[in-house]
Amino acid sequence: MEASQATTTTEDPNPSPNLRRRDLNLNSISSSSPVWPTIDGPLGLSEEEGLSYARRFYNFGFLLLPLLWAVNCFYFWPVLRHSRSFPRIHYYVVRSAVGFMVFTALLSSWALTFAVGGERLFGPVWDQLVMYNVADKMGLTGWS
Amino acid sequence: MAQNPRPRSVLESLGEEIVRILIPVSICMFMVVILVSILTSDSSSTVSSIATIAYSETTSDTTWDKFVGALLNSLAFVAVVTVVTFVLVLLFYLRCTKFLKLYMGFSAFVVLGFLGGEIALFLIQDFSISIDCVTFLVGLFNFAVVGVLAVFMSKMAIFVTQGYLVVIGMLVAYWFTLLPEWTTWVLLVAMALYDLAAVLLPVGPLRLLVDLAISRDEDIPALVYEARPVSYNDSGTSGGVAQRRVWRERRNPNSNSEANPNLNDNSVLVGNEDRGLSSNPNANDISELNSSVGGDSVASLVRAEEGRAVEEDAELVAPLLDRSMNAARVEGESAASSENLLLEGMGLGSSGAIKLGLGDFIFYSVLVGRAAMYDYMTVYACYLAIIAGLGITLMLLALYQKALPALPVSVMLGVLFYFLTRFLLEIFVVQCSLNLLMF
Repeated sequence: MEASQATTTTEDPNPSPNLRRRDLNLNSISSSSPVWPTIDGPLGLSEEEGLSYARRFYNFGFLLLPLLWAVNCFYFWPVLRHSRSFPRIHYYVVRSAVGFMVFTALLSSWALTFAVGGERLFGPVWDQLVMYNVADKMGLTGWS
Repeated sequence: MAQNPRPRSVLESLGEEIVRILIPVSICMFMVVILVSILTSDSSSTVSSIATIAYSETTSDTTWDKFVGALLNSLAFVAVVTVVTFVLVLLFYLRCTKFLKLYMGFSAFVVLGFLGGEIALFLIQDFSISIDCVTFLVGLFNFAVVGVLAVFMSKMAIFVTQGYLVVIGMLVAYWFTLLPEWTTWVLLVAMALYDLAAVLLPVGPLRLLVDLAISRDEDIPALVYEARPVSYNDSGTSGGVAQRRVWRERRNPNSNSEANPNLNDNSVLVGNEDRGLSSNPNANDISELNSSVGGDSVASLVRAEEGRAVEEDAELVAPLLDRSMNAARVEGESAASSENLLLEGMGLGSSGAIKLGLGDFIFYSVLVGRAAMYDYMTVYACYLAIIAGLGITLMLLALYQKALPALPVSVMLGVLFYFLTRFLLEIFVVQCSLNLLMF
């Protein structure tokens, strides 16, 4: 298959143990180690490219981009499921997952406090912070 | 194995591939209808944009005035779009691909950030959602940046890219439904005619762009929705093996077997695409292969095309058409100037998957959104008409194997059915319902 030939000819021998195992288990659907680190399978990245993508996503996520961490985990979902197959990618993906959950917990706790607490908790500052007032004040929704 | 695989491949794969294009189109239309239904604005809050420079419609004008005004608006808009498309052809000819990609990313950011933000603000104001500005800004920033990355990078998760393209189409389509009514309808017809001319005429800008891209074996930087290629496992073994279905095309003597990882379309060798597979210069209809053989022998079968010499390169002709759409200026926003989305019509991707340009998504959704502003009955009629037109276009695509404009058939059918439903069917159905004859 073209795909496997690509990984053996152009990649380092790291994935070859996976390939050998895969060839042995051709007819078994039981969890052999996956060849592809991404959720797209053969349409996605190879392992080397996957490593650079995972690292870049992880680093860029620190610019207040938890959604990028979430996309990282989604994209490399097979790496999370089979944690022993791609150890280098797994390092970045796990940290992205942890970062996303921490950031989401913080942000949602703040948002819920703001929404539920309301004016009782914050006083007049609430009116200055809530989005629809800010939009009105700055005229953001005036089309013309 | 000696049979000609081509008719079988068209019949087998057409259903699945049609569905994989119909689903995002339907989702986009559905979301626009929902947005239009929720954010019912009064008739006075229309946008002023490039599409309304010639004439601003008021409710007190006569029918003829409205029609002439709408015609002038549409002609102005089509003229602007033509000029911008020619500029893009010129830039592509001068190989400013980097600039085009940057501009594409920038326009995606503007659409997602500013248009998306505006629509989110509308929703927040309508429902009085008590979200604070910090959370809102962080969320919007995330949404826009990840969207730009999804559109910009060629190897993002397919689902994320497709989702963001549908969202971009939805946002721009909603914005277009804010135009005055007559202008919208005449604009749709004008854009359908422009699309027809620009793709099929030899002097049309989109045709020029496609020919340039084919002759250079290059990728056109554009916002295009590409469906996932349909893969078939004939005997069900070796799960996870991707078998590429190929539209086998006429041979292009200019093509060669060099591995160009950026090839995304036209005369790309199958198996050699930016998905990281090897550059297998021989395209074949893989569904013909008996996949009960092991992995390696499948490859050798792939190499040995049936009845053809191995060094023949059968590649895909997937000429794509581009159409730059000038989504006009958003008043009141400082940073948003006229944006150009480089969009495409319908073509075939390198792996045989169907590509549909984002402009088609947008104009289909504009039609259905405008129909939703009248009644849901017109929505159903227009939706069915558009889907029928899309099916016809896809079949023509399978027949002619070249780039086709996806707008004309669907838009013409949609407009026709809108007016038929509004003026003829509705009276009938309402009277039947009132007299309890039919619901």
